[in-house]
Amino acid sequence: MIRFLISLIVAIILGGLIGLYMGWVVIPTQYVNSPASSLADRYKDEYTVMVAAGYLKDGDLGGAVDRLRVLGQGNIPAYVQSVTERFISNSRDANDIAYLVALAEGLGRLTPIMQPYAQLHAPGQP
Amino acid sequence: MSRYDNSGNYAPDSKSKYRRPRYPFSPRAVILGLIIGIAGGLYYAWNVDQRVEFDTEPWQLNEADRSSYIAGITLQYTYDSDLTRAVNRLLVLKLPGDPIQAVADTACKLASSSYIDNSSGQRAVRSMMTFYQLQGRTGCADTLLASSEIATPGLVIEASTPTLRPPATKTPTPEPILQATPTIVQAIVIPTIQPQADFVLADVRTFCSAELSGIIEIRVQDFNGEGIPGTSVTVNWDSGSSTFVTGLKPERGADYADFQMDAGKSYTVQVTGRSDPSQALVAGPCNDANSGQPALISYRATFRPQ
Repeated sequence: MIRFLISLIVAIILGGLIGLYMGWVVIPTQYVNSPASSLADRYKDEYTVMVAAGYLKDGDLGGAVDRLRVLGQGNIPAYVQSVTERFISNSRDANDIAYLVALAEGLGRLTPIMQPYAQLHAPGQP
Repeated sequence: MSRYDNSGNYAPDSKSKYRRPRYPFSPRAVILGLIIGIAGGLYYAWNVDQRVEFDTEPWQLNEADRSSYIAGITLQYTYDSDLTRAVNRLLVLKLPGDPIQAVADTACKLASSSYIDNSSGQRAVRSMMTFYQLQGRTGCADTLLASSEIATPGLVIEASTPTLRPPATKTPTPEPILQATPTIVQAIVIPTIQPQADFVLADVRTFCSAELSGIIEIRVQDFNGEGIPGTSVTVNWDSGSSTFVTGLKPERGADYADFQMDAGKSYTVQVTGRSDPSQALVAGPCNDANSGQPALISYRATFRPQ
């Protein structure tokens, strides 16, 4: 009987660890109804580029800021500046950079590193 | 030979469990314990203390934020007209059924809500309408948003032409009461929609070279086969895209651009926003016929006007 109980307890502990590993790592819960603030960084970047292109189309700076608020960033201009500078540093797509630079410029965040990309696109001029 | 031992007990059979060595653990208890443990661990991991949420993909977004994401896609589309990119992004959203019709349905929902109470919301919905209308879809947003506010307004030219008094005749006629009656002529000029594809992939060939391994050589030419410099070309693959222009290597020609592929990946190439994407160009292995060295398949793609 003691052999049975010891085996059971050890197996429960081992099984529990296996279960936790599977539940947290291998097959974790897949969330739905998530907020945009929890998006993976690459999709946040992609969304920011889309909003920047939309800004170039309509010149609606307030609308662009409103659209970016769903990402849960406290300081939108600082966020756009950060994304733009990261895109430039990582040599991302030149058009995407130009869109972001135009938005950053609209938000008053044109930094020296962005200067070469400025004026490639202007709001309202596709 | 007797099976009774010295004490007079009957000896068990050689295959009896009493003759087998005893396990140090109970197999039944182990199996039972594992089942209980795994079930308990999964319950705890899935329900009690779930992993902190991160790296969410767009398809996991709630309805409101998914709508914002769709609006972002169509807003960029209205700027760059890159249909492939827009559709690829919609596919990531795993929208049910036809993704373009799903955009129309989303626009319908937004147009029925307070989302269009401000001009930014209206612009977003109009960008969705432009997107799905160009793909031949319809939705209730078409009627919910006033047609006069839709993206392509007609240009109305009004010209009034007063009717002149007729010249006097010799035959007196009763003096009619003549008044100048302005006639309003309305000419509505509706801008035509730019064709979706100006260029077609006229030719694509493969070659194998150890020196130019896994290269896509792209040329964009006019009707006469003359190179067009400065044309934007986009290469897409499963996890990204790259846009560049022709003519940056003048020694190869004004119409020339190239792209280095990674082994085993599949790529499509297009004139940015002005052609359909090519068929998949796969960077598969090959052997250079001259040197015998292994290399990746390279491609020569030529775009010409339709």
